[in-house]
Amino acid sequence: MTAGSDVALATEGLAKRYGSQVALDGLDLRVPTGVVYGFLGPNGAGKTTTMRILTGLIHADSGSVEVLGQPFGRGDRKRLFDVGALIESPSFYPFLSGRENLRALAATGAPVPSGRIDELLQLVALGDRAKDKVSGYSLGMKQRLGIAAALLNDPKLLLLDEPANGLDPAGIVGMRDSLRALAASGKTVFVSSHILSEVQQLADVVGIIGRGRLIREGSVESLLREEGAIRIRVGAEEIATAAGVLASAAGEGSVTPEGGPEAGWLTVRVDPGRSAELNRALAGAGVYASRIEGAANLESLFLELTGQGSDPGGGGKPGGRRGSVAAEPVDWATDPGAKPETTGWSS
Amino acid sequence: MRLARANVRKLVRRPATWVTFLLLLVLLGLIYLALIASSQQAENPQGALAARAIVTFPGAYTATVALVLGIGGLLAVTYGGAIAGSEWSWGTLKAAVARGESRTRYTVLGFVAVALIVIVGFLAAFAVGVLLAAGGALLLNVPLTGMSDRDALTGLPELFGRASLALSMDAALGFAIATIARSQLAGIGVGIGVYFFEGIAGAFLPDVFKWFPFAAANAVVASDPTVSNGPVGTQLEPNVAVIVVLVWLVAALAVSSLWTERAEIAG
Repeated sequence: MTAGSDVALATEGLAKRYGSQVALDGLDLRVPTGVVYGFLGPNGAGKTTTMRILTGLIHADSGSVEVLGQPFGRGDRKRLFDVGALIESPSFYPFLSGRENLRALAATGAPVPSGRIDELLQLVALGDRAKDKVSGYSLGMKQRLGIAAALLNDPKLLLLDEPANGLDPAGIVGMRDSLRALAASGKTVFVSSHILSEVQQLADVVGIIGRGRLIREGSVESLLREEGAIRIRVGAEEIATAAGVLASAAGEGSVTPEGGPEAGWLTVRVDPGRSAELNRALAGAGVYASRIEGAANLESLFLELTGQGSDPGGGGKPGGRRGSVAAEPVDWATDPGAKPETTGWSS
Repeated sequence: MRLARANVRKLVRRPATWVTFLLLLVLLGLIYLALIASSQQAENPQGALAARAIVTFPGAYTATVALVLGIGGLLAVTYGGAIAGSEWSWGTLKAAVARGESRTRYTVLGFVAVALIVIVGFLAAFAVGVLLAAGGALLLNVPLTGMSDRDALTGLPELFGRASLALSMDAALGFAIATIARSQLAGIGVGIGVYFFEGIAGAFLPDVFKWFPFAAANAVVASDPTVSNGPVGTQLEPNVAVIVVLVWLVAALAVSSLWTERAEIAG
């Protein structure tokens, strides 16, 4: 593997087993420098295992990792001096204050410039609570402190596992702005998240994994374009005509009726940017659509790719695909125990 | 150095440090109280004599060290276990490793901080113990002239060194157990279990168990039979005990470091 300087993080054939359980099965990732990379996958897909390998907490059975253009394996711990990480839940000494915790952490790894801790406490809007013991922090405050801890070294590569956990909407917006600003300054942000709508807004590039392998990787825009769909509603009596027109415009097999003919909905699997063209084709045939919706979002794409779609009729959510069968229940909710934050995260 | 300093700062701020120290002082106070009470018993003249001997200086210096060592051994195991175990339970070891910190360095410096705190605690408890012994001597009308005994005072640094080594080993043992168990509670529980198991098993097989860590730790200064922690004649000779304790200390620290180095850190 010879990732250039344009690749911040790369894995090749990464494999890891826990006993008979396969966690990673030849994972190949390429994370370009200076982007926010959304790392997605259902529970048990191998996201956290990957994060642990990338931070040296565990070691892969086989395969290789490159961090910031350099090989990373056993004995290469100093590569992590340029990496910041928040893996799983934030880890702190409950009897120390937020500031003391950051000081304790700053004593490990690469040296941290003086003043950096206060700067970060301000960034994550914990300046006022910096002297309070962490045991009194809410989940969202701990999460913010965890992100501050990950930023201690001003890292070139930031690895964040579920960073939005426990954050209130203002906190999520603040985090998003901060991470976008980091990426804009040339740093790379690798974010694993369950909140697909958040990743869609945040990430430039996404990698979707399932059963320990990469299923799809690419820019959010291109993936949505390639996997996109348009939903069109016409009169029930015009369904057959409309389906024919749309099939000739978009290609055979691309048109699927939803919810039966009486519902009047058709899903066309094409780039959502072609909606005007399809509308013109319908109008040319004397069929007037009462509604046209772009039906592509990361969630529907994710469910499609991981085989976990739960809406066979496709009528519930834009982009729901006929025939997708839920393999197992998926819980995309954030931690129900999360304490809502009232303090926003101002960046 | 910054990691060592940070570790000491953490321990000073940690409630477990002060709770353990207070527990040591309370137990020490209770023992002296019991000794003074037992010295008043007319029906047990031998016991009364032994109690008076413990508060009689200069022998009271050694007796105090032995008492602190006896009680402190158990507390040092639990303290070492609590500190090492919490690094796993709270995920703070994970955070340090993810920052590129050396696992072995982190473990060794973590233990060094624990040992420093244990030694400072021992010295403070010794000072309190000497005051309690002096108070007991006054109550029992035992003269305090022996307090300024030159030989006893010049021998104190060696006593401190031996006791510090023994207590550090006890802490290292708790540290190693908690590291293997990866848990604060398991570390404390197993540490206490091992401590009492050794004590009980030592009563049946004294010649075997005198080589075990806690028995050896108690033997480093237990030259006075009135305050020894086992049947007379079954303890190691103090200088041999020092070497045995050193071996246990190095072994415990090596196990902790090796275990941490090779561990897959999750959770």
